[in-house]
Amino acid sequence: MHPSAAVWIRRIIASALGILLAAAPFPAPAQQAPGDAQLRQELDAVKEQLRRVEQQMRQQEELIRRLSPGTPPVAAPPATPGAPGVAAPPRPAPVPPMTVDVEELRRMILADIQPQLTAANKTFASQFNPAIGFIVDTVFSHSRENKSNFEFRSGEIGISASVDPFARAYAIINGTPDGVEVEEAAIVTTALPWGFTVKGGRFFAEFGRLSTFHDHDLPFVNRPLVLDRFIGGESQADGVEVNWLAPTPQYLAFTVGAYNKIGAANDRVDNRIPRDISEFTFLGRLHTAFSLTDSLGIDVGLSDAYTPEVRNVGLKPRNVFGADFTVRYAPLSQAAYRGFVWGSEFLVNHETRPGITPTEDSPDQIFRVRDAFGGYSYFEARLTRRYYPGVLFEYVQDIDRPASRTWALSPYFTIWASEFQRLRLQYTRLETNSPKQTDDQFFLQWTIIMGSHAHSFRDR
Amino acid sequence: MRRLLLVLLAIVALLPADAGAAKKIQVVTTIPDLADMTRKVAGDLADVSSIATGVEDIHAVPMKPKFAVLLNRADVVILMGLEAEHAFLPALLDASRNPKIRRDAPGYIDTSVYVPVLEVPSRLDRSLGDQHPMGNPHINLDPVRGKSMVRAIADGLARNFPEHASTFQKNAAAYTKELDAAIARWQQEAAPLKGKKLVSYHPDLIYFVERFGLEAFGTIEMRPGIDPTPSHVADLIERMRQAKVEIVVRERHYPAGLAETVAKATGAKLVELPAMVGGVPEADNYIAFIDYNIRALVKAATGG
Ligand SMILES: [Zn+2]
Repeated sequence: MHPSAAVWIRRIIASALGILLAAAPFPAPAQQAPGDAQLRQELDAVKEQLRRVEQQMRQQEELIRRLSPGTPPVAAPPATPGAPGVAAPPRPAPVPPMTVDVEELRRMILADIQPQLTAANKTFASQFNPAIGFIVDTVFSHSRENKSNFEFRSGEIGISASVDPFARAYAIINGTPDGVEVEEAAIVTTALPWGFTVKGGRFFAEFGRLSTFHDHDLPFVNRPLVLDRFIGGESQADGVEVNWLAPTPQYLAFTVGAYNKIGAANDRVDNRIPRDISEFTFLGRLHTAFSLTDSLGIDVGLSDAYTPEVRNVGLKPRNVFGADFTVRYAPLSQAAYRGFVWGSEFLVNHETRPGITPTEDSPDQIFRVRDAFGGYSYFEARLTRRYYPGVLFEYVQDIDRPASRTWALSPYFTIWASEFQRLRLQYTRLETNSPKQTDDQFFLQWTIIMGSHAHSFRDR
Repeated sequence: MRRLLLVLLAIVALLPADAGAAKKIQVVTTIPDLADMTRKVAGDLADVSSIATGVEDIHAVPMKPKFAVLLNRADVVILMGLEAEHAFLPALLDASRNPKIRRDAPGYIDTSVYVPVLEVPSRLDRSLGDQHPMGNPHINLDPVRGKSMVRAIADGLARNFPEHASTFQKNAAAYTKELDAAIARWQQEAAPLKGKKLVSYHPDLIYFVERFGLEAFGTIEMRPGIDPTPSHVADLIERMRQAKVEIVVRERHYPAGLAETVAKATGAKLVELPAMVGGVPEADNYIAFIDYNIRALVKAATGG
C-alpha cells in the first residue's frame, strides 16, 4: 500500500473511533462502578486520548477548509480529506463540526484496500471442479481352506459437487483387480418442497442398512453373507428413487424406488436387458428412530424389494423383505471416546427358483417357491477415540437348498490412527452344515482416505 | 401402492393447516451459546432450540434423526461457522431437506462473519490435523467476539425477516451494552490471570487467553482432533516444567486421566472448564458461562 495512503487510513480510522466513542449514547461502563481508582485512571487516559484525537481532527479540518476554496468554511466534511482518487463532494447543508460521515469513511477505506482484496481473491479455471476423495482399501488374508493373499481390494475415487441450485451429484469409480467400474453416479435433487428428494442414475438402493455401505465403510472386513447372497453385495441399482421426510414430530422417512435390478453381484437379470415397465424391481422402505435417553437411541427400518416375473429372461417373481435395527449409545459429553453400536438385519428371500435341471425325459423346467432366511448381528464398542473392538454373528440359508445353513462368528478389532486411517484385525470362524465345511480365516485390513470426505447421515 | 400414495397425499394436504398454527420464527442453533444470544436478539418473536446441549465436544456432536426433523421445520439455522460444526451439521442439513437453510441460503446464518480469526493455517494438509481448516473456530469463548456473533445474528435474522429488523437491532444493541458492562467487569476480575501460562487439552481457549492476557503454552492433543502419542505427552511435560506452566485445563468433554497425569507431573493446577453454555449447570447463559470460566481460572491461579 502507498505509504501516504496508509497514514491517511490510520488517521481516518483513529478519528472515526474517537468520534464513535465520544458519541456513544451510553455511559462508559466504568462510570457504573465509581470508587474504583484503577478504572477511573484508565478512563482518564482514554479521555486524554480522545482529546488529542479531536485536536488532530480539528487541525485536519482546518487544513481541508483552506485547501478547498469552493466550499463554504462551515460546511467542510470533516473526514474526506484528499485521499488518493477521491474527490470530496461539496455538502449542501452545514454540518456540525464534530460529526463524520461513516458511510463515506467506509467507502473510502474499502476503495483503498480493494486492490489488495481483489489480489487475494484469486480465481482459477479449476475452481468449479468437484470435491475429490480417494480411498485405498487393502487386505491381507489367510484362510485354512484358501491359503494366503495380499488382496488389493480397491482404489476408489469419489467426486461430488452441486450441479446447480436444484441438484447435486456424485460419482464413485472403483478400480479393483477385476477392472474399473462406475460403482455409483447419481443425481440428487436439493430444492424440492415438502421434504422430497429424488435420486436418479446408478446408486445404492435404500434396502436395509449395510447394503448401502461401500465395502471399505463396513464396520468389519467382509460384507455379511446374507447381504452377499440375498442382495448381491452392495445394493447397487440403476433406476430412480423418491425419498420423503414426513413433516411429523417423529422422524419418519419413506423411500420408493424402481430399478432394473438391485445388487451389484445379482446376476439373475442383466442391467442392459430392456423389459416391460411392470418388470422392474420395486422397492419400498420405512425408516424411523427413537431416542430412549439423551445417549441411547434406536433406528428401525423395514424394506421390501419386489421383482415380478421378467418374461424374456425366464425369471420368476421374487420378494426380499428386510428388517434392520440399530441401537446406538453415545454419552453426549464423551461421544468421541465412549459408546457402542449394536446393529442387526434380518432378511427373508421369497423366490420362485428353477428346480431340477431339464433332461430329455422331462424337458420342462420345474419351478419351486422357496423361502430362505438370513441375518446378522454385530456389537461394536468404542473404548477410546482410537480403539473399537467388536464381534459379528451371521446366519444364512441357501435359497436353493434351505436345509444348507452357514454360521459365522467374527471377533474384530479396529484401530483408528486418525479419522482418515484405519487398521483392522479380524478372525472369522465359518461353518456350513451340508455339505459339512469349516474354515478359519484371518484378516488384516488397512484403509486410508485422502482428500474430500463427508460425514453422511446414512452412514452413521 | 396406490393406497399408500393416497395416504401420503392426505398428509401433505394437511400440512399448511399444521404449519399455520405456529407463527413464531423457528430458529435452530448448533450450540446453546447461540441459542441464548438469539433469544436475547429475537425476544418473543422466535422459538429457539439448540442441537447441542453444551456438554458435547463441538467436533463430535452425535447426529440424531430428531435433529433432522427439527431442522426440517426451521426458518433459519444459526451456527458458529469456520467448520466448527463439520462433524454433524452438513449431514443433518442434507437429511433435513430444507432448501431455506442450505449452506449459503439466506436462512443459513454463520456467526463468524464479523469475527477476526486466529490460527488460520497457511497450508492445508491433513498432517496438521483435520478439525480447524478455516482457523480456530472456538470464537464463543471470547466475549468480545461474542458481541460480533450477536451482530451477525441480528443481521442474519433481519435479512430473513426484514419486518422485524428494527426490533432485532434494538435488542442486539441492548444486549451488546449488557455484554460491554460484563466485559469491563471481567477485565478487572481476570487481572490475576495476566501472564499466566496455560495448557489445555484442545486448542479451544486461544481467544479467551488472548482476551484476558494469559498465554496458551500448548495442548495435550497432538493436533486438533488427534489424540497424543506417549512421546508428545513426555515432551509436553518436559517443556511445561521448564517454562513453569501453572494451569492445565481439561475441557469437560475430554478424558480426565491424561490431563490429571500432566498436571500431577508438572505440579500445575488442574481446572475443568465447559467449552459451551450448558457445559456445567451454573453456565446456563452466555454471561454466566464466561463468568464461570473466569472464576474457575482465577481460583486456580490464586491458589484457591
Ligand atoms: Zn476445535
